[in-house]
Order: sequence, then C-alpha cells, then structure tokens
Amino acid sequence: MSETVAIAGAYEMTPGRYRDVDALALFRQLLREALTSWPVRPQDVDGFITHPCGYANSPDNYIHDKLFAELGIRPAFAETMNLGGATYPAMINRAAMAIETGRASAVLCIGAGKFMKPGAGGGEMMARAISDGNLEVPYGTFIPALYGLVASQYMAERNVTAADLARVAVSARKWALLNPQARMRAAGPITIEDVLASRMIATPFHYLDCSVPSDGGGAVLVARADLARKWTEQPAYVVGYGEKHGRGTVSEPGDLLETGAIASGAEAFRKARLGPVDIKVAQIYDAFSATPLLLLENLGFCGVGEAPALVQSGAMDPGGRLPVNTYGGLMSFGHTGDASGMSLVTAGALQAMGKAGPVQVDDASHVLIHGYGGILYDHTTLILAREP
Amino acid sequence: MTDKPIPQLTDFNQPYFEGCAVGELRIRICKRCATKFRFNHYLCPNCWSEDLGWEVASGRGRVTHVTVVHQAPYESFEPDAPYAIVLVELDEGVRMMGNLLNCDPASIDIGMKVKAIFESRGEVYIPQFVPDD
Repeated sequence: MSETVAIAGAYEMTPGRYRDVDALALFRQLLREALTSWPVRPQDVDGFITHPCGYANSPDNYIHDKLFAELGIRPAFAETMNLGGATYPAMINRAAMAIETGRASAVLCIGAGKFMKPGAGGGEMMARAISDGNLEVPYGTFIPALYGLVASQYMAERNVTAADLARVAVSARKWALLNPQARMRAAGPITIEDVLASRMIATPFHYLDCSVPSDGGGAVLVARADLARKWTEQPAYVVGYGEKHGRGTVSEPGDLLETGAIASGAEAFRKARLGPVDIKVAQIYDAFSATPLLLLENLGFCGVGEAPALVQSGAMDPGGRLPVNTYGGLMSFGHTGDASGMSLVTAGALQAMGKAGPVQVDDASHVLIHGYGGILYDHTTLILAREP
Repeated sequence: MTDKPIPQLTDFNQPYFEGCAVGELRIRICKRCATKFRFNHYLCPNCWSEDLGWEVASGRGRVTHVTVVHQAPYESFEPDAPYAIVLVELDEGVRMMGNLLNCDPASIDIGMKVKAIFESRGEVYIPQFVPDD
C-alpha cells in the first residue's frame, strides 16, 4: 500500500543581492534559517534532494556530499537534480515517490541560487548555455528574445495586447506590496502605463515585463503523512503531479503554444481527481509577463485566448477569484536564479498550510504549482491540498 | 572583422557551412523515412536512422515568430540594436532562426515572405534572411 505524503515544512529566504555570499554559503545560510525553524533533528531526515550549487554555466554537482557531513545526516535516498525552473515541483514528486515506496520517510528538498548579472559577461554566457552554437547563438539570442519569439505567436494568434501582458506585472506587484519578503515591495505599485513606458528589452517585453534578478533560495520538508502531522498542525498533502518534457529549442518545428503544460496539468488534475475549478490558489512560473497568460490557457483555467480577459478582470489579484502568484512571483518577489522554481513551491505550500501570513488566501484548500524549464521546454505541475 | 559569435567548424557542421559559403542552404533528409530537418541531429529525430542525406533548400519561407531586440545582450550586437530575430518556416517545412535584414524591424509581420542570404563571419558564412518581394 502506498503511503500518503505531505509537506511538513516550507521556508523561503528573503531574496536580495547577497553580494558577499558565495553560492555554497548561500545554501548554508538557507539551511541554517530553515532547519532552525522546524521541529526536526538530523536523525529524522533520511532523504535529501538538492539542485546543483553555483551558476548555471559551472554547477557544482557534488554539493550533496559537502552538505551531508555538515548537516550530520546519513540519508538512504539522495540525488542532485536539475530541470531548470521545473526542478522544484519535480523535486517534491521525487521525494513523494521515495516515501510512497518506502525508501525514505522524510526528505529534505533544497535549492539556492544566484542570478548572474547580465552585464558582467552573463548575457553571452547564458546565450551560449541555452542556445545552439551553430544555429542560434550567431543571431544575438538571449533569454528575453527567445521568450519574445514565443510571445509573438501568442499575441498574433490569440489577439493578445501589450497591455494584457502588462496587467500580469501589475498583479504581481499588487501581491508583492502585501509581502514583506518581496523585493519590489518598496518600489510601490505600478500601472499598465508604467509597464508600457519602461524601456524595451526585446519585443514584446519591456523592462517591467521581466522578472527581477535576485539571489535566494528555499527549503521544503516532504514526509510521510503521520510524521508531517507530528511536526506541523496543518500539513500540505501532495495529491497530484504531472510532468512532460518536449523540445529543447524554439527553432525546432512544432507549435510553440502547445506546451507540455497541457499534458502535465491534465495528468496532475487526473491524479488528484480535481479540475481547474477546484483550485483556490495557483503559483505559475512567471519569468516574463506572457508566460502566466499562456499557461493559464494550457492548464485549463480558461479557454484558448481567454486568459487576457481573465487577468484584466482582476482574477489574479488579491481578492480575485483565482489568486495567482500570491507572493509576488518572479516578477515582483524576485527571480532567485536556479532556485526560482522553489519560491513557487514554498509559497504554494505555505498557502495550503495556512501559514502565508499577510498574503494568506481564505480557504486555500487546493493549490496548484506549475514550473517550467528552458524556454517552456520542461513542465511540472504539483497539486497540494489541506486534506489527504 | 566582427566580434559577433562565429561558429567553430567541426567534421559535423562543415558540410552545412561549406554550403553557406557557396550560397546553398543545406538541410538533412532521412534516407529511411524522408523526414527533413536541420543538420544538428546525428540521428533522424523521427526514426533514429543514421543514414542521412543532404538536400539544398530553396531558402524561401515565411516568418512564424519575431522579436526585436532593443537592448543588446552583449557588446558585439550593440551597433545593430534594434535588430530582429525571426523564426522562419522554409518551404521544405524546416524551421530556421536568423536575423531579418534589409527592412525596418518594426515593420516585420508574422507571415511575411523571406529568402535566405549568406553573411560572412570571419572565414565562415551563416544564413540570414531578407524580405522576398
């Protein structure tokens, strides 16, 4: 019989620019903050999953060994994994599979990241890391432009405007104003006009259509449900998961709007025996303003071409009928480099646990978290619930 | 001279770039299942055959996706900004990336007809696109 699995603890560092803290030290700071906030000891943890340490171009894949000794843990299950922004919902799934099959009873899942500054050679480095050296890099690619290509089809085929994209950024900022941890809280509210007036990076994305480069990270403790209930009053039960991987480049044939989120979302809903109408909070990866719109459609929260009207109605906002990215998202909380997808998971788990503080949504009975990696290449969808 | 990225020639990519140097846009065709694709596959992505041939594409196609870069990602592209990056579906059904040159980037629409030209980067020629009137 397979075990019921729940999240027993979720912790997110306050994102910022940790200039004097190297990548490994950032993991250490995260662990110090997270582990002292939970009622667990080293002997309780028998599973461990981490993202590689360091920048995307030169990751340290041996970080697990460095941390086992420091933490005094001897796990029976461990891995270092990377699926880009899709990593963290997948991490919860891998932990849940280990627990369901009896390999582990409590799995510590972590990720910390530093976002490389585009100006310091980072732009060219990232272009080379994500684009084909023969067929893409020679044309001056970089991440905003690659998303811009996808967005151009979305806007043309589904009659989406720059103001619709901007409205996503406005909503993220509304949430950030309520979240003391959000990086852009102090910057104050923004309007659609502010977004459209900010400098153009690569069409259709203005500066304020892009996420905020930050350093940070988060940790989640995934456990057998009986242990989770011992460690926390209201665990977040893992009730659904879906995953789908596709193209590794935008310049292979195929419809860029038919993302793997269609399959990963449908799978997660099927396993949870739920539908989009049951979801009270959604955390949807928002590296750029266009992606939550497309993904709301791909995940089935609205029909094809209906996301702009949904978002313009204020549905995503505080008090809206489908609160999205309730902590400010990558766009206004901060994009914490390789740990960015973790902020969606911690924010989603805290909602289901009733511990989201000033951004808590009433009756967050079912929470959907969707991450993607690359330029919408890897898709992972996780559904958490207050009841098993 | 240019500081823009120049593909490094290898045994694998040489037939493609040799084609560019003589004005031919070469694509791969699988001899087993006839699927056509760009050269950057060692095996046919449809059937995993390694029996692959070359074909010369017309170089003609339509823009399917476009972005205009206003803030160049690094120094060697700064003089070009704003510049257009497009995805083009060739008449043969193969998708390519390129810059769309010889036109106002703001005037580029999805569906626009384009044709390939070849731009020198040091010793290497790479395909680019221009409007096909």
